[in-house]
Amino acid sequence: MRGSRQEEICPGVTPLEWMIVVASRQIRDGEVLLVGTQWPIVTALLAKRTCAPHAVICFEGGVILEDLPPRVPLWTADPVVGSSSSFQGDSLDILGAVLHAGVADRALLTAAAVDRYGNLATTCVGAYESPEMRFGGSGGACDFACLAKETMVIIEHERHRFPAQVDFITSPGFLHGDGSRYDAGLRQGTGPQCVVTTLGLFTFDERGEMVLSGTREGVCVEEVAAEVQWPLRVASGCRPLAGPTPEEIGILREVIDPQGVYLRNRKGAPHNRPSTQGTGTP
Amino acid sequence: MPERPDKRMGLKEAVARLVRDGDRVYLGGFIQQDPCAAVHEIIRQGKKDLTVSKAAGLLSMDLLIGAGCVKRAITSYIWNPIPKPAHAFVRAVRQGIPRSVELQETSILALTLAYCAGALGLPYIPAKTLLGSDMLRRSPRLGDNEIKVSKSPFTGETCCLIPPLTHDVGIIQVQRADPSGNAQAWGFAGDTKYGMLSCRRIIVCAEEIVPPRVIEKDPDRTLIPAFRTHAVVEVPWGAHPSYTMGYYDTDWQFFHFYEEQTRTHAGFRSFLEEWVLGTSDRKEYMEKLGEERMEALRAPPWRAEPVSYGGFLRHRWLEES
Repeated sequence: MRGSRQEEICPGVTPLEWMIVVASRQIRDGEVLLVGTQWPIVTALLAKRTCAPHAVICFEGGVILEDLPPRVPLWTADPVVGSSSSFQGDSLDILGAVLHAGVADRALLTAAAVDRYGNLATTCVGAYESPEMRFGGSGGACDFACLAKETMVIIEHERHRFPAQVDFITSPGFLHGDGSRYDAGLRQGTGPQCVVTTLGLFTFDERGEMVLSGTREGVCVEEVAAEVQWPLRVASGCRPLAGPTPEEIGILREVIDPQGVYLRNRKGAPHNRPSTQGTGTP
Repeated sequence: MPERPDKRMGLKEAVARLVRDGDRVYLGGFIQQDPCAAVHEIIRQGKKDLTVSKAAGLLSMDLLIGAGCVKRAITSYIWNPIPKPAHAFVRAVRQGIPRSVELQETSILALTLAYCAGALGLPYIPAKTLLGSDMLRRSPRLGDNEIKVSKSPFTGETCCLIPPLTHDVGIIQVQRADPSGNAQAWGFAGDTKYGMLSCRRIIVCAEEIVPPRVIEKDPDRTLIPAFRTHAVVEVPWGAHPSYTMGYYDTDWQFFHFYEEQTRTHAGFRSFLEEWVLGTSDRKEYMEKLGEERMEALRAPPWRAEPVSYGGFLRHRWLEES
């Protein structure tokens, strides 16, 4: 498991499951969602089976899903979406006529790192020209973060993923706060709405700074503060959030991801299965 | 009716005739239909100093970079979808191995609009993405131009002006094509439509070659009209280890294998020797992979309901007059 904390928070519920359930509850019924790969996929699918049955899921390659696919997609480009989507076009249809047109209510993204102002990095750590670590790059994430009305970030809480300032802003949040996002030319009212992690739920204040607004049961505020690289502000109403219900966990485990592809990183899942090491065969 | 030109040829001939050193090459397919067979052939023929352009940089992009064929890469990301880093790409960016590559990276929307502007002959397309991103600051170049920030002459709002991207040659792996080059593809297309139409020369690799009447009975599926196509190549399994919708699935195990094998440049070279340079064509490559694996990947049928286009081959008004 990739989460930093592996203890179960109440019988059977892992921090990753907590993160997905709390994130899914942010989605309102009927919303048009732009869904990135990894955690956003399971989050959106869970929301469709719980609080937002009429949400519409859009993927950057040109897909619109209105119903749950017959099995969990291994990524946003899984061919299973071809046998269960209601629309297949191209990236201009989704990133243009849905996202740029202003029709997308919410983008769901994960990232390698998120900073104090909700800026996301999926390009590199270190200097751009000579990076210490190099990741894949933006894909459609920058478009999502620029253009969706609201952006939700879903990310495992590890301290190195929460720098005060990301080295490279792949996808803009509130930039440097105080309206700098809108000064750069992005539409008024758009921007990060929340960050959901394995430790808690963060929102953004009027300056665009991330504030802790709820914690996972059993996690104290000081513990969260120690896991970000800036002096963390805490909302006045911050308190432990209601944990996942047995129904939510049941749907997540038995309907959405029964093989544990995302949530348990089970070895049997096809894209988690290493090839026969050392034998020289594919 | 004059006979239509038959543009069928082998992949070796198509690549030899239509891909030249220094070319700007667009690779079609968005994650699915990665034109890997054609890319192997480009590497076998030792093409060099290419500009390679593709929104979704997967194995084909990593292979070309690692093989030293690429001078400039234009993309929105390059990775291995398992998900792990695309090691050859990372080596080129961080260490210049086997050569330094000029990386032009931007978002999928910006890139798709650049292809669209190129395909339509537009001077630029304004868009409100990228604003505030370090990609705009640190990687503003697309082709030989730079994305500029400007104000709309109509509303005054801030937008990026995305310059057009055009290409010397485009290569695509599709489901089917006729001998004259009408190419049909289905499944989500990503950046492929305008990417391909921004190319001067086009190589169509197809899982199957079909008679023109198959195309004409279902013209909605045609992505590239024949008059734009220069070569039609029959290449079954041409996208492996990516997938072709309706034909075969992603070979995840192979992506893992590739990731493990290519962690060092020496490992990359031996992968290349064995799987690319050590095979003469896609048929030999697939034989090496084995029938058992192919059987496991083959797509079970999932057929659409037929539609009617309406058979008005005769018209009552013409019969009566």
